[in-house]
Amino acid sequence: MKRWLGPLVVAVIAGVAAHVATVQAAPAFIMGRAIHAMEQRGVPLHAFSLAPRTTPQTQTVVRPSPDLAYSVCRYDFDQLDGPLTVRMAAWDNYASVSFFDGETNNFLTLRGDGKEREVVLHGPALVSSLEYRSPTTKGLILIRRLAPTQADYDRVTGVSASDLCSADPFPASPSALEPQP
Amino acid sequence: MARSRSFRAYGLAVIGGILAGSGSALALSGLFPGFGAMSDGTVNLDGWKADFSTGSEAADPYTRARIARHGLLALARSEAVYFTRNTDDQGERLREGCRYRLSGGRMPAQWWSVTLYDAESRLPMNTDGALSLDASRAGEEAWSATIAPQAPDEGLWLSSRGGGQFDLTLRLYVPDARLIEDPAGTLAPPRVERLACAGGAT
Repeated sequence: MKRWLGPLVVAVIAGVAAHVATVQAAPAFIMGRAIHAMEQRGVPLHAFSLAPRTTPQTQTVVRPSPDLAYSVCRYDFDQLDGPLTVRMAAWDNYASVSFFDGETNNFLTLRGDGKEREVVLHGPALVSSLEYRSPTTKGLILIRRLAPTQADYDRVTGVSASDLCSADPFPASPSALEPQP
Repeated sequence: MARSRSFRAYGLAVIGGILAGSGSALALSGLFPGFGAMSDGTVNLDGWKADFSTGSEAADPYTRARIARHGLLALARSEAVYFTRNTDDQGERLREGCRYRLSGGRMPAQWWSVTLYDAESRLPMNTDGALSLDASRAGEEAWSATIAPQAPDEGLWLSSRGGGQFDLTLRLYVPDARLIEDPAGTLAPPRVERLACAGGAT
């Protein structure tokens, strides 16, 4: 009995360590795979890409809503010298632009309310609390627009051409949001 | 010889511990394929379950892992809340072989929808174009729809064709603030009444 005590303690320690490590690492691992899969499907870096209208045949993430049109932008501050400029063009129904870090956290969401929205997003190295900052170097930006019909989706196709996700600063715009603390 | 046996015992202990630890983590986080889409949830309204910490860093590690697997890119609760159920009003598992009446009324949100997903959290692979019902089609007041693998003669329809054992997700976009504070007092969730099943059982 005594000679099994040592291995038993080692097994428990290894089990607890593996359990904690697996749970903690899962979101970043899954997000990393999702970002990689989007890259493989041709979603460009630092540019919005409008996904095809959501159907069982076109779904690429779990639990997509067939009523929404999704535009997605991948970002990577390791490949940027400065901030990322993001613009969501105005939409006359529900719309939002949401930011997800590399661990799946939704760290910022702005609602459209019928208006254009602009954000300057900085990398994790930024220390100022007066700017929008991504907690991780990589992440995803997702625009959702309510578009339950094919006609609505077709309109999104036109509107989304004015969306912007870029390393270049945008021209001065009166609707630009002031950073919030 | 004894030293070799001891070395082997410790090796097996490490391997066994890692397998048990990581396996239990995957199970508790719902990361094994085919099950675990549902959490116990912090809110349970007549079988509709929601975790209001979805999308935020405040979520516990198990919730975050489960959401990453089954609800990646979900929004935080101030923007949207998600209720999911996989049983009917009698507590029986929702399944493709049965026909259900889904009914409800006004929802405390700017916009809402109910969408049907299979056990893999995917839209069932059919071409019916009837996998979601939203506020724009259901109207502002009392509404009802049929959930079945074939279209009903009349009325709204959610197609369960190819869904197997499925579940429903209720999305509430821009929810009333009161919903977060007092979900039971604010939301009357849709009912899911089983009407009939293949073979005549109900």
